Amino acid sequence: MTSAVRVRDLWKRFGQQVAVAGIDLDLPAGKFIGLVGPNGAGKTTTLSMVTGLLRPDQGSVEVVGRDVWRDPVAVKARIGVLPEGLRLFERLSGRELLGYSGRLRGLPGAEVDRRATQLLDVLDLAGAQHKLVVDYSTGMRKKIGLATALLHNPEVLFLDEPFEGVDPVSAQTIRGVLERYTASGATVVFSSHVMELVESLCDWVAVMAAGRIRAHGTLEEVRGAAPSLQRAFLELVGAEGRDGGADLDWLGGGAAR
Amino acid sequence: MTALTSTVVRLKLSLLRNGLRQSGGRRAAYVASAVVVLVFAVLQLLGLIALRGHAHADALVVLLVGVLGLGWAVMPLFFPGGDETLDPTRLVMLPLRPRPLVRALLAASLVGIGPLFTALMLVGSVVAVAHGAAAYVVSVVAVVLALLVCVALARAVAAANVRLLTSRRGRDLAVLSGLVIAVGAQVVNFAAQRLGTAGLGQLDPAAEVVRWLPPASAVGAVDSVSEGAYGLAAGQLAVAAAALAGLVAVWARSLDRLMTAPDGSTLGAAEEDARDRRGGAGWARLLPDGRTGTVMERSLRYVWRDPKTKAAWVTSLAIGLIVPVFNAVQGTGSIYFACFAAGMLGIQMYNQFGQDTSAFWMVALTISSPRDAYVELRARALALLVITLPYATLVTVVTTALLGDWPRLPEVLGLSLALLGAMLTTGAWTSARFPYSIPQEGYKNVAPGQTGLAWISIFGGMVAAALLCAPVIAVTIWLNVTVDGELWSWVLLPVGAVYGTAITLLGLRLAAPQVAARLPEILAAVSKG
Repeated sequence: MTSAVRVRDLWKRFGQQVAVAGIDLDLPAGKFIGLVGPNGAGKTTTLSMVTGLLRPDQGSVEVVGRDVWRDPVAVKARIGVLPEGLRLFERLSGRELLGYSGRLRGLPGAEVDRRATQLLDVLDLAGAQHKLVVDYSTGMRKKIGLATALLHNPEVLFLDEPFEGVDPVSAQTIRGVLERYTASGATVVFSSHVMELVESLCDWVAVMAAGRIRAHGTLEEVRGAAPSLQRAFLELVGAEGRDGGADLDWLGGGAAR
Repeated sequence: MTALTSTVVRLKLSLLRNGLRQSGGRRAAYVASAVVVLVFAVLQLLGLIALRGHAHADALVVLLVGVLGLGWAVMPLFFPGGDETLDPTRLVMLPLRPRPLVRALLAASLVGIGPLFTALMLVGSVVAVAHGAAAYVVSVVAVVLALLVCVALARAVAAANVRLLTSRRGRDLAVLSGLVIAVGAQVVNFAAQRLGTAGLGQLDPAAEVVRWLPPASAVGAVDSVSEGAYGLAAGQLAVAAAALAGLVAVWARSLDRLMTAPDGSTLGAAEEDARDRRGGAGWARLLPDGRTGTVMERSLRYVWRDPKTKAAWVTSLAIGLIVPVFNAVQGTGSIYFACFAAGMLGIQMYNQFGQDTSAFWMVALTISSPRDAYVELRARALALLVITLPYATLVTVVTTALLGDWPRLPEVLGLSLALLGAMLTTGAWTSARFPYSIPQEGYKNVAPGQTGLAWISIFGGMVAAALLCAPVIAVTIWLNVTVDGELWSWVLLPVGAVYGTAITLLGLRLAAPQVAARLPEILAAVSKG
């Protein structure tokens, strides 16, 4: 099995805090891969380092067999990224943003416009294409971000929390596009802390907690004997049995006060 | 007085009292400012009374009240949180009907130093122009009416402002409003200077218009009655009363909407923006292909669309024009001040990536070699030159024309071009080495904790730019002091142009590898806003 992403001994510290503590990981090509973990597990930090947006303290990252830091020309052309918590050029309209992004990547103008039109249609943004991105809703932002990430037809797509704050209709649209994209043999790596979503979408999962990989493999391997990924995940991160029901005994019952 | 009115007025009084109780320093400051304002008001009052009988007194008081009204209209834009009792958003959760609420808030608005000051000014104004029993009676009506118009105006603007500030467009405007005040102050300053030299007679034409505008029309009515023009007076009073009714209605309506609608942020702006924008991009076709044109197009769009970038540009354009031209008009200027335009606009090259905010990741992901970084930087410099070159040339020509010093035009243009080159080259380099975040909300231009970085970037860069210009400056001085030097001063135009271009290209070449090697560091530095 060929690796789409190969990570060796990856570290990142922010002051005293260790965000990523020595990750080794091989992500198989052509799969729909979920990187799951609780908030603060280091998912965003890891994805930022893998995509070349954050410099690791130590370790190496290869995407489609090329080193991210030594061979950026080869890597940057082959990946699409939808980061979390970073802005877009929001004072451009949706269509202008796609045009800007595609031309910046060196695609011919006519081809950029053709692809942009199709992406806007498929992602249900055609009606808002001339509106400034700053006026978009969260779901629309994620969709236009996804369109910029897909525009240059990358081999590997990295999506950081692509469904966070997205309404069910937009989520279904995004899902449809991603499923079509992986069916063609491309790789999607996305992070999430919604287990049901990961379980229904992914065929390969890596579980992260406290800056380390706790488990990885196919969905079945990671789930093991547990009834759901949610259960397996809670066991892996050691949060099983913490339901906290005993204390708040005054809560509920409708007798306000 | 209804129960609600008296409650709100008492609330206002106790808030004033509590505010004073908080700390000694605050009390002292409040008392001191109150004393100053009152002394000022009393002096104005005496001055206005002394003005009684002066030929231009009517024009002066009408304009005075006009300015007072303008002040009331503008104030809430700059101190929106200035008055807690009157901030209607705090009352949203209370079950209040708009009409009694408007009445109560209007009454409470009359409590305070501002209204007292205004009342004193209005009394002084009517005393200055009222002659005869009828006029005195009208005066009482006029003062009350004018005061209510002022207060209602402030309330209406404040309520509209709260609604405006909940939309994206409104927030964009708020960033620019500081600029409006700065430019407005210049205009007022200029007008005051003219008035000082030309006398009060200058006021009459303006007063002719303003005496019909509320709240000044109420005072205008007093003047009309004094002169026996009762019909005119009735008309002016009616205008003021109509204005009051209109303002209260507008205010009540925005209050109503404010209390019932959560906010108009995305929805309102979305509908408004849905129109087709395709028509506007014709100019973009003139730009070169590839990365250069793409980056230039984005940069130029941002000059117009991004409020922070726009404010920075407008400031640079205004100062770059005002300094040389105003100095030239007043006869104190040197033709070399024209270089100011190039210098001020060159500043826009500084912190290029900070202007991108964290959206810089989109740029970072498409730069994989120093060559890409070079093209990116060069395109940004070109976008800047599209505006700067014609503008700096124009300012230089206008300054030269005002001073009538045409023989020096080539050398000043040459110096401008060299300076522009030096600014671009240092700007590119500091953009790569000392990037910092520009917060998108509010008036701050540096993110907390990065002030030092910003100082190094801007002042270090400007000193370096001055040093880089030194050879051209030296040649200028040399040509000016040697015999027959002025015969050769035209040489400075090509010299400056070539030198400016050369150091720009060199600077971009040196900065490009820095950018390419420091992409993650730059992204981290500009993502703090």
